[in-house]
Amino acid sequence: MKTQTDNTQSKPKQKINGRYLLPAVLLGYALLYVYSSDKTIEALLSSLSTMLHLLPVFLVVIVLLGIFTALMSAKKIARLLGKQSGIKGWVIAVFGGILSHGSSYIWYQMLANLREQNVRDSLLVTFLYARAIKLPWLPLMVSYFGYTFTVLLMFYIIIGALVQGLIVEKIVKHKH
Amino acid sequence: MDYPAFMQAFYKSVKGFALNLPMLISVILLSGLFEVFITPEMLASLFSGQAFYDSLIGTVSGGVSAGQPFISYLIGGELLKSGMSYYAVTAFVLSWVTLGVVQLPYEYSLFGGRFTLTRNLLAFIFVLLISLATVQTLQLLS
Repeated sequence: MKTQTDNTQSKPKQKINGRYLLPAVLLGYALLYVYSSDKTIEALLSSLSTMLHLLPVFLVVIVLLGIFTALMSAKKIARLLGKQSGIKGWVIAVFGGILSHGSSYIWYQMLANLREQNVRDSLLVTFLYARAIKLPWLPLMVSYFGYTFTVLLMFYIIIGALVQGLIVEKIVKHKH
Repeated sequence: MDYPAFMQAFYKSVKGFALNLPMLISVILLSGLFEVFITPEMLASLFSGQAFYDSLIGTVSGGVSAGQPFISYLIGGELLKSGMSYYAVTAFVLSWVTLGVVQLPYEYSLFGGRFTLTRNLLAFIFVLLISLATVQTLQLLS
């Protein structure tokens, strides 16, 4: 008879991501502290400030991911962003990328989950590149480089995001 | 919305983040190091005035830099003032937000080597292509 322990043991053990990198980075900090203590402390403080700044965004992403998973069945996700999604999928990827806030790595977990539910790699690539359009920073970009430059760059970023997605689509198709 | 389904999904996403937390902290700590140790002066000193070479340097230096996008505008603006080509500055500003050396380990751990390599290689090539297209169009329009 299979016991509860057997069932638990048969589950694949989930690995902690970064279990080697984090000690290596901390060691790097310790070594750099010896070399330049002021700058290392400045780097640490800057990192702590980034963490505090990102905390609300992380919470939003966790809640969004929860809502998204609860509301969207695998079938729905496949219809919107899977192989049969068509133009709708591309539009969602571009606008999702433009509207998503914060650093890319905040969104990686959510994108990896979507990928497990058969969202196309091409749409993920498009989403990640479209994130180069930073809506909150656009006024500042205009003030530094002018309207024409900003509009042109945004236009080419969208085209570039779509073309990269299409290239990945071709590569994936070719492999299958 | 089905409340138990939401709680289950919420728990799953919290667990996912918890498992990735050491990697996220590593990336943020690395960004802090890059931000402080790679100074704007250091970046500016890499440019030579040759458009193609500077575009490549702009792409690489933007990719290894870390921080908010406005910092790249600030450095880019200063580089333009000091006579740097629009190609190099566009490549620098664009690679700052599309390439991320410090994020590579995290991207690799979640998406695998093939996806990470393909995406970053394409992003690198497209930084150069988009810079070229943007500046050429800008020159045509003016």
